[in-house]
Amino acid sequence: MSKKNATSGYNRGRLLRTAMTVGMLAILFALPYFNHNEYQLDVLVSAGIFAILVLGLNVMTGYCGLLNLGYAAFFASGAYTYAILNVKYGLSFWVSLPACIISAGALGLVFGSCVLRLKGDYLALVTLGFGEITRIALNNMDGLTGGPNGLTLSHPVIRFANKSFDFGIKSLPYYYLSLLALLVTIIIMRRLSNSRFGRAWIAIKEDEVAAACMGINTGKLKLFAFCIGSAIAGFAGWLFAGKQGFVSPESFDFTTSIMLVAMLVLGGIGSISGAIVGALALTIIPELLRPLQEYRMFLFGAIMIIMMLFRPQGLLGGVRIFEEFRPVSERVRQEEDEVLAEDLKQ
Amino acid sequence: MKQKILVVMCCILTVISFGAKKTGVIKIGCVGPITGDQASLGLDQFRALQIAVDEANAKGEIIPGYRLEIVSLDDQHNPTQAVAMAKRLASDPAVVAVVGHVNSSCSLAAAAIYQNARLTQISPSSSNPEISRKGYDTFFRTCATDDIQAPQAAYFAFTQLKAQKVFIIDDKTTYGKGIADEFEKEIRRLGASVLGHEGIMQADKDFTPLLTKIKALEPDLIFFGGMYPEGALLVRQSKALGLSATWLGGDGIYVSSFIDLAKEDAEGVYCTFIGADVSTMASAKNYLETYAGRFGKQHMGPYSAYAYDAANIIIDAIRRAGKSGRQAILAHVRLTKNFPGVVGVTNFDQKGDSTIELIGVFRVKNQAFDYVGPAK
Amino acid sequence: MSPFETFIQQLINGLSIGMIYALIALGYTMVYGIIQLINFAHGEIFILGAFFALFVFSFLGSFVPLNNIVTIIIMFAAAMAGCGLLGVIIERVAYRPLRKAPRLACLITAIGVSFILQNLMMIVWGPIDKSFPVFFKHVVFTVGALRITFMQGFIIITSLLLMISLHFFVRRTMLGKALRATSEDMVAARLMGINVDKVISICFLIGSALAGAGGVMYGMYYTTITFHDGYLVGIKAFTAAVIGGIGNVPGAMLGGVALGMLEGLAAGYISSAWKNVFAFLILVLLLLCWPSGILRKFRNE
Repeated sequence: MSKKNATSGYNRGRLLRTAMTVGMLAILFALPYFNHNEYQLDVLVSAGIFAILVLGLNVMTGYCGLLNLGYAAFFASGAYTYAILNVKYGLSFWVSLPACIISAGALGLVFGSCVLRLKGDYLALVTLGFGEITRIALNNMDGLTGGPNGLTLSHPVIRFANKSFDFGIKSLPYYYLSLLALLVTIIIMRRLSNSRFGRAWIAIKEDEVAAACMGINTGKLKLFAFCIGSAIAGFAGWLFAGKQGFVSPESFDFTTSIMLVAMLVLGGIGSISGAIVGALALTIIPELLRPLQEYRMFLFGAIMIIMMLFRPQGLLGGVRIFEEFRPVSERVRQEEDEVLAEDLKQ
Repeated sequence: MKQKILVVMCCILTVISFGAKKTGVIKIGCVGPITGDQASLGLDQFRALQIAVDEANAKGEIIPGYRLEIVSLDDQHNPTQAVAMAKRLASDPAVVAVVGHVNSSCSLAAAAIYQNARLTQISPSSSNPEISRKGYDTFFRTCATDDIQAPQAAYFAFTQLKAQKVFIIDDKTTYGKGIADEFEKEIRRLGASVLGHEGIMQADKDFTPLLTKIKALEPDLIFFGGMYPEGALLVRQSKALGLSATWLGGDGIYVSSFIDLAKEDAEGVYCTFIGADVSTMASAKNYLETYAGRFGKQHMGPYSAYAYDAANIIIDAIRRAGKSGRQAILAHVRLTKNFPGVVGVTNFDQKGDSTIELIGVFRVKNQAFDYVGPAK
Repeated sequence: MSPFETFIQQLINGLSIGMIYALIALGYTMVYGIIQLINFAHGEIFILGAFFALFVFSFLGSFVPLNNIVTIIIMFAAAMAGCGLLGVIIERVAYRPLRKAPRLACLITAIGVSFILQNLMMIVWGPIDKSFPVFFKHVVFTVGALRITFMQGFIIITSLLLMISLHFFVRRTMLGKALRATSEDMVAARLMGINVDKVISICFLIGSALAGAGGVMYGMYYTTITFHDGYLVGIKAFTAAVIGGIGNVPGAMLGGVALGMLEGLAAGYISSAWKNVFAFLILVLLLLCWPSGILRKFRNE
């Protein structure tokens, strides 16, 4: 393949990619005008929030290989930070955002610095335990969290000059808000995954010892991944609490954590679009199955198994997905490397 | 690129796959747990509403050009689900009123949504006093609140059961903790000593550690604020440990399932209820017969009649309003006066609470709830 | 009741539930030891055992009146056979095709199986608590103010018997040897001519059958069962397996008993509302301070 061809292929790919992105954004932004059904929008808002969560989980599990079965705890810390600030101190939705992100991130930092010397399944178990402890603690600390009653929050309001816009209970404003939040998260994720950190994380996931030998400070980077992942969960929690106008411990149970892992794995671990597709699929499928009533979750379980049996790497599994977006020249080089490797083996 | 196409497809799929909506009807929402362990309560509420609505529709159009319809939703006795379901009802303009939720925790969470949407909510069983203290003008209930029930239960325990040393257990839910706290306040005021007040987790099964501790304290009465599955287990396990104290519970254990689960250990357990024995009331005769004929007597839950009354108050308000519209119906529900219902003559006070304050006491005898009399 | 008697009574209570945890933990630990899978469906299999027994009980009861002991034996047999078979089927359908796939894929199918079983139970037996038959209710052994009910004694003795026979099976039989070899190194075991697939099947069979037996005892002890009981008990049993050092059979037994007792004491002396927190707190602290579990080091020698 000549160099000229390769470059034009690269440009064409990039052009198409931009066109797709713009088209998709246009569809997503225009969606409420074609279909203004509250319930469906509400489901989409939830899907958006879950997508943000799964993206955060992806940093820990997908990039860095740290399986987290208690991710709901960090989600909860964001939601409850806003709830408590709102109910006890009357802080508004917008003002509490930094506090939510910082509190969840700090929780991740503290918890992570204690547990990150554990590996693999042991780490997963500690996070599971932590998740359950958090939920029960939220349930039992009535004074602060309202216990099982939960906390009812005021709706977000935007004040501009002397006009104010109340988000209210309609889903439309939350739809745009969560879409915006998701976009921001995606951009951060993209920047992060292509950065020095992103590459280091993947190196750690592939082989921690080798990564350490290459001069990567594995401990610090793992902690950083944990912290970033938690902070994103806090962000999603803030959004969730604002959208619900209500928080109670049930929203942050083990099933939530498990569903998030399922979304991540189903979509394809380590891939940004996979995380989003997984979140969309696992939020929308149960809603579509709602008419089946008690057969709903039964079928849902079956779908999960069947999907895994046929695509164990996830719908948009892993590295392969980036293949198409990589410059052709780079792809060719990799193919050459592979051929060379084959030759060496023989 | 594949994945982007997939994302777009997902979005489009959502748009087309959800159902369309109907017009020409007035809808009454019905929310409660209709799956899960408390499904019997939610289903019972739904059946009561069904009877009321069918009776109203049988008389012809409720107001000219309109027919009644029920929208039944499941809150899984989970407050977060309750909020989501409330939003669904609020977003459907044909829904003018809601019967529900069953659980206090759900009513409390959802009431904010109904308030915002000007949607009348009448709960047949959410008895936690906190809900009406929030100042929501859309909230009503046909049952008596726990700040009426619990003090009367305490009075009964102190005067009739001669309780001097009391231990209190609650299940940490809005309902259970609420009623147990009110009970504790009153029994302390009356002069009995409270040996302790502990919470248990709902859906837990092993209460022997707590009961062993209680046994060592030798109380003569244990009050339980909570629902029947935990209540039955507590009673059974206490008997296995040889605990001799009398059990007293709130309306959460006044369900036939309580006796089904606790079997012979249920004998002698006392419980209070937000009214007298419905089966002995003359006003309830018709309703009981209709219910038994349609669904079978055994399915009838304790709040059935209260749900039926709630539904009829709404239907009555719609008739008086003469038009569909949330604001009009809310105003007419508020104007309800001396409504002759199944459980008695209902009036709402300023907060939306029913003014019927009779609390009945029942005792399990020969595997059935035996009416002892009013608590006071 | 003196404080000392109360303490002993708490220990006995903890021991009874701890034995049930131990039985379930065995299944977790055996499966994990061989294929490194956290079998999330195991808790569901456990409570299904109780439902199987309940089904057989009501089925038998409608035909022939049997004496209590025969009924108990039949209930156990049904639960153990049913669960064992189910375990094997689940492994065949949901885990075996994924043996070469990423490990997380298996975790997801395990969750899927757990959803299916839980909702199947809800559809078949309904969402409401079911009453479970109780036997020899009035047989109570008393020492001073201490009370050991028949069920407590029965649970402790039966569990011990089952665990001892498992121990002998693993240590003394050829199949047990194959099991140990496979968990040590699957590839090497295959090279030695061990039918690894068969060994894994047997591992699921035994683990699930023990969980089934645990389910029956759970039903008899607590007298009510619901479709969602499997989840919490399952997680706790898993905690027990970790406490004992996951992959380690005697460790699972010890871990179960330790967890049951600690939990009972914490609930009795500190707070019953926080009861479940203690179990998980133990899990977290233990993993942080002693990541390989109580008995792991013996095994590594």
